[in-house]
Amino acid sequence: MHQLISFTSDYTRYVLKGGTKFYAWMGSLSVLILAMFYVFYLQNTDGLIVTGMTSQISDGLYLANLVFLVGVAAGAVTIVFPAYVYHHEGMHKVAVLGEMLAISAVIMVMVFVFAHMGRPDRLWHMIPPRGIYSFSSMLGWDVMVLNGYLVLNAICGFYYLWCKYTGNPVNRKWFIPLVYVAIAWALSIHTVTAFLMANNPARPMWFHSMMPIRFIATAFAAGPALIILIFLVIRKNTSFWVDDSAIKLLTTIVQFCLGIAIFLTLSEVVVELYARTEHANGLYYLMFGLHGLTGLVPWFWSSVVLMVGAFVMLFMPSFRNDFNKLQIPCAMAFAGIWIEKGMGLIVPGYIPSPIGEVTEYHPSFVEWLLTLGIWAFGFFILTILLKGAIGILLGEVKYGGQAAAAK
Amino acid sequence: MKKLAIYTMALALCGSAIYAVSAAQTAAAPAQEAAPPAEPAQEAAKEAAPKEPLVCFESRKGASEITQKEIKPGLPNVKCSPTTGAALWYGDPYDGTVPMGKMPGLENIPEGHAVIKPRSEKLALMPMCGTACHNGVGPNANPPTLPKDKRAKPNPTMEAMVPDLANLQHGRGRVWCMDCHHLTQRNKLVDNFGDPVSFDQPQLLCGKCHGDKLRDWRDGIHGKRIGEFVSTGKKRWFTCTECHNPHNVQDGERNRGFVQLQPEPSPQLPRGMKDAKHEKLHPIPH
Amino acid sequence: MTTQETPKACPAAEHPPACTAPASADPAASATKTTRRDFLKAGGMLSLSSLMGTAALMAQTDDAHAAAEWAEHFQKNYRLMTDAEKAEARTRLEKRYSAEYGKPVSVDTTGPQPGMLMGYALNIRKCIGCRRCVHACVEENNQSRGPRPGEKIEWIQVLRMERGKFEQEKMNQGYPEGLGIQVGGNAYTPAGAVLEGQYHYNPEKVPEADATYMPIACMQCEKPPCVKVCPVRTTYREADGPVVIDYNWCIGCKMCMNACPYWARRFNLTTPVLPKEEMNPVTHYLGNRPRMRGVVEKCHWCLQRTRHGRYPACVEVCPVGARKFGNLLDPESEVSLILARKNVFRLKAELNTFPKFFYFYD
Repeated sequence: MHQLISFTSDYTRYVLKGGTKFYAWMGSLSVLILAMFYVFYLQNTDGLIVTGMTSQISDGLYLANLVFLVGVAAGAVTIVFPAYVYHHEGMHKVAVLGEMLAISAVIMVMVFVFAHMGRPDRLWHMIPPRGIYSFSSMLGWDVMVLNGYLVLNAICGFYYLWCKYTGNPVNRKWFIPLVYVAIAWALSIHTVTAFLMANNPARPMWFHSMMPIRFIATAFAAGPALIILIFLVIRKNTSFWVDDSAIKLLTTIVQFCLGIAIFLTLSEVVVELYARTEHANGLYYLMFGLHGLTGLVPWFWSSVVLMVGAFVMLFMPSFRNDFNKLQIPCAMAFAGIWIEKGMGLIVPGYIPSPIGEVTEYHPSFVEWLLTLGIWAFGFFILTILLKGAIGILLGEVKYGGQAAAAK
Repeated sequence: MKKLAIYTMALALCGSAIYAVSAAQTAAAPAQEAAPPAEPAQEAAKEAAPKEPLVCFESRKGASEITQKEIKPGLPNVKCSPTTGAALWYGDPYDGTVPMGKMPGLENIPEGHAVIKPRSEKLALMPMCGTACHNGVGPNANPPTLPKDKRAKPNPTMEAMVPDLANLQHGRGRVWCMDCHHLTQRNKLVDNFGDPVSFDQPQLLCGKCHGDKLRDWRDGIHGKRIGEFVSTGKKRWFTCTECHNPHNVQDGERNRGFVQLQPEPSPQLPRGMKDAKHEKLHPIPH
Repeated sequence: MTTQETPKACPAAEHPPACTAPASADPAASATKTTRRDFLKAGGMLSLSSLMGTAALMAQTDDAHAAAEWAEHFQKNYRLMTDAEKAEARTRLEKRYSAEYGKPVSVDTTGPQPGMLMGYALNIRKCIGCRRCVHACVEENNQSRGPRPGEKIEWIQVLRMERGKFEQEKMNQGYPEGLGIQVGGNAYTPAGAVLEGQYHYNPEKVPEADATYMPIACMQCEKPPCVKVCPVRTTYREADGPVVIDYNWCIGCKMCMNACPYWARRFNLTTPVLPKEEMNPVTHYLGNRPRMRGVVEKCHWCLQRTRHGRYPACVEVCPVGARKFGNLLDPESEVSLILARKNVFRLKAELNTFPKFFYFYD
């Protein structure tokens, strides 16, 4: 009990201390978080009319970011899997950072769930015993697996940190099986999210069985791409050293998965546009426009350029081996997949509507602001979690030791 | 950390730049087809003249009409379209109706459960037909002498009432007045046996030729009934001439059974759409 | 004039508790007490979301209104309510609506009648595209009708489809197209193209010579995909056919809008704009009672009318009699006779949703 109290206080004190850079970063995030609360207030008084959503295009940026972030959360498994299954030394050291990323990504997903709902005040309706849980609903399953993933990662991550903090050995009897469960679970969250979209025959753009594997492939490209960026930031700004081997392995994973994602996108394009049935209207709108409306065309092609560009760059040893330049293809892959899964997949699912009405989606300013705010919220949590974890891994936060000031 | 911030900012900037461009486009063109400009004017007119009873037409213009009145506080018998003047909503489906009377094939309907709106009230000249002109006085009156070619003789009074009298569209020249109107009782129609039929029951006349339509009408498939939908319920039946113009059913060259009318306003354009011109283009340019 | 048209204090005989509400106790206040106690019992449910909603509700100045909304906030899913709870919810709503709209408003809770399966048929050859059904529906069902984009909700959409014209002049166009692929010159003539056309057509007169019209609304599927995806089971198929929504239980997740292949569902982006004088005071709990911000709504075949045997509003105003409604279990009903006698089709039958809305032609 005493250990727990001292863990909490040491951890809190450690993460709250930092340099000017740290406070500037957290301060600017806080401004965006305040903006997020303001938009939440607007959405829960005036309604979703303040967004660009309509009855025709009933979901947009929020669902897009939700889907994307589920992928990022699942992407954390690209660290945990090599660390615990293949006992990759470099990865094992940083596995807990992946879990921290997963936690913050899932929290962001939850906030996006709130954001896209018309009545977030009624969320308890889906929680038994007073609420009703529906096993036939993919959203119900999605909420369940996401919560499960959050709990699994919180347990695995914080138990590991706890052991490091107290200096006790990890109890492998239950810890390792739990990690394996979490690995399988990571696949489930993105698969179920894919089913959430794909199980709608009303929306031909989404209604194909390629969706889950495409989701996984893009997730395992975007997730590690973000992780690489974060690792490089950590290496630069803290005394914690992430092994080159870990970053190299992640680079390989990003490249392979990006290649698969591009391949799957191309397959879809060929299959849909060869016959060009009415069911390809969504994709056609995305690629070339429909009825002279071309709102998503720049998004799609910029995503193609970003993804293919990143894929090609990762072939070049000059990018792959130079960790300063590596950031470019990683950022490109991340942005490309963000577009591909967001504006490039969610929105064209609504265009045209199931009865052939073509309308366009223009996200409103507050919608962008809320999206940005939730990302800021996620990064806020991520910064705290990573800082605490690194402090413990470095031994700066230790039971019985003085809580050292963070750099 | 700085670099990450830069990337995030760049991403945000790209997004906001694209948004700004699209928002500017949206704002540039004022909503042309969006809100019908007539609405406020009509509302003002409604308030200005509350005394004038609101009359709206039911099926087609020039046939049966209904006058708006309040049946319960805050509940009118009918709501009319401010745009077209058509009946839009029935609070009381049986307003101004009378029992349909005997109708072959509908004997099983309980008494008073089939009602119609009397057509004769709408036909202003009907009370005069049998007194002013077709009163049994005059050279051709009794017994009437009919033209052998069954062509109506142009007559200014009659032409004023039925403009295409000489070239009757109904039947495309194979039908003439006396096939439908009673020979001696001009305020009546005529059935197959030469017996008079009320103007309120045109179905007895029309069904002479259009047997399939009469059958469908009797079963509720053709035409229109309002009131209670259950087969034993009380219904107001719309008779043939409430929807079709008997002298020109096909509406001339259009060759349709129903005359054209003004449509009600189109739906609201969803947010972000300036107009609906894109709907008129083919999906794919070619 | 039929009886169900009158707003009454006690229209449904099967719910006596509603009529014997104690005059001494304010039903809204007592409801508040019980639900608050229940709510505190289930302390684990006290989520951030509920707090947010509660705070918003408590900020309202109108006490009675706030109390009613407070109680509504914690009520159960309609299907799980006991008769007494239904009656309580109904009294609460009648009180609130009557005060809000300045006239006696009745909230019907009549359930499905035995031996009834509602069905609809539309004569697609007759439809002239006049949109009278669209506006009748709005008058009847208390949809939002504000001026801002997204504030005007219509449940019926009328699609204008080109008849199409094949022309000699086009014979040499478009061949070969693209990569030398054979495409006939008249390939893109839209004749017979279903679900492609205009929704915002606005000519001076309808029907136009070169167009056909197809109204689309909820098909009241026997196997509704929207019901399957609802995470809180707030939308469901009633025993007499229509698919309904408990607006008080809907969380606004919009999954049903993704799942509906007929685009039948609309979202209340903001608090519905419903002028007092235009409000229809004869309502049903699962039907046309005024909705709130952030919930989904849809056609329910005018439950407040059809549960009492009356035709839906759209059927009654169709000037050409293209719309037909009846009991599918009654062989004498007009819909049964249409199924027996006419050629009918279901829209998007390939999706196996089994609509009870049939299109037919003479």
